[in-house]
Amino acid sequence: MTEPTPGPDGVDPAARPDGTDRRALGGPGVLLVVVYGVLALAATGRSVLQITEYFSRAPLSYVLSAFAALVYVLATWCLARGGAWVRVGIAACAVELVGVLVVGLASVVAASAFPDKTVWSHFGQGYGFVPLVLPVLGLLWFRRVEKAAVSPQRVRGGAPG
Amino acid sequence: MIAWLTYVVVGLSLVHCLGAIWYAARDRLIDDRLLLVAALLELALVVLLVTGLLGLGHIDDSAERATFIAYLVSLPVIPPGTAFLAIKEKSRWAMGSIAVGAFAVGVMSVRLLQIWMSYD
Repeated sequence: MTEPTPGPDGVDPAARPDGTDRRALGGPGVLLVVVYGVLALAATGRSVLQITEYFSRAPLSYVLSAFAALVYVLATWCLARGGAWVRVGIAACAVELVGVLVVGLASVVAASAFPDKTVWSHFGQGYGFVPLVLPVLGLLWFRRVEKAAVSPQRVRGGAPG
Repeated sequence: MIAWLTYVVVGLSLVHCLGAIWYAARDRLIDDRLLLVAALLELALVVLLVTGLLGLGHIDDSAERATFIAYLVSLPVIPPGTAFLAIKEKSRWAMGSIAVGAFAVGVMSVRLLQIWMSYD
């Protein structure tokens, strides 16, 4: 993989004038990659153990956990890759937002259906409400990347330095 | 053993986090000194991983054990991951990502200890 080095003027070469490169990583995006990555990692690990060790205890919770974990992995990937993945990332973040809202509400209204917690239970309370905030930040970031790709004059990722 | 190991991890993650914030504030990029802190943190996390896996029988509840193992295995991935990103992305934001990662390591290790302590 060839890595672009910042030009002498400090302008990120990813923001090429032709506007074809919609690399998401860079600027605040790198923060999102880390937060998403950590959540994806923790959720995936936990989910694998839940399903392999004691799936029968709360099948609905564990299937939802596994699904959520997969979406987090996908979103992390999209954030890191950018380009054509931006569209996929927007979809992933939208699914997360709907998921955390629907499952969050369901876990409050129909608590008996969720004997064990999922990432999205109680709007992500078990994870410090990070799952509730993250998709919103993700969507905002992807939208910004898209905009920057349309109008490359706009500096992406805030003022450099 | 797990308890004081966790305190070491939390202490180192705090140093790593504050160090990265300091670097970001002064617009400095990752250097050997910050990498050394990351390496020390990583070492502590690997020791914690091995110790935790050896003492798994301590945790009776299988759901709690699942969370414990997941966190234990996830933790050592974070410092090298953020360091790698910071080396790739030479920006102030990358230093922020080190800080966020180190903070997550601190929070997750405290959670680990909570689970562990609840079976004492």
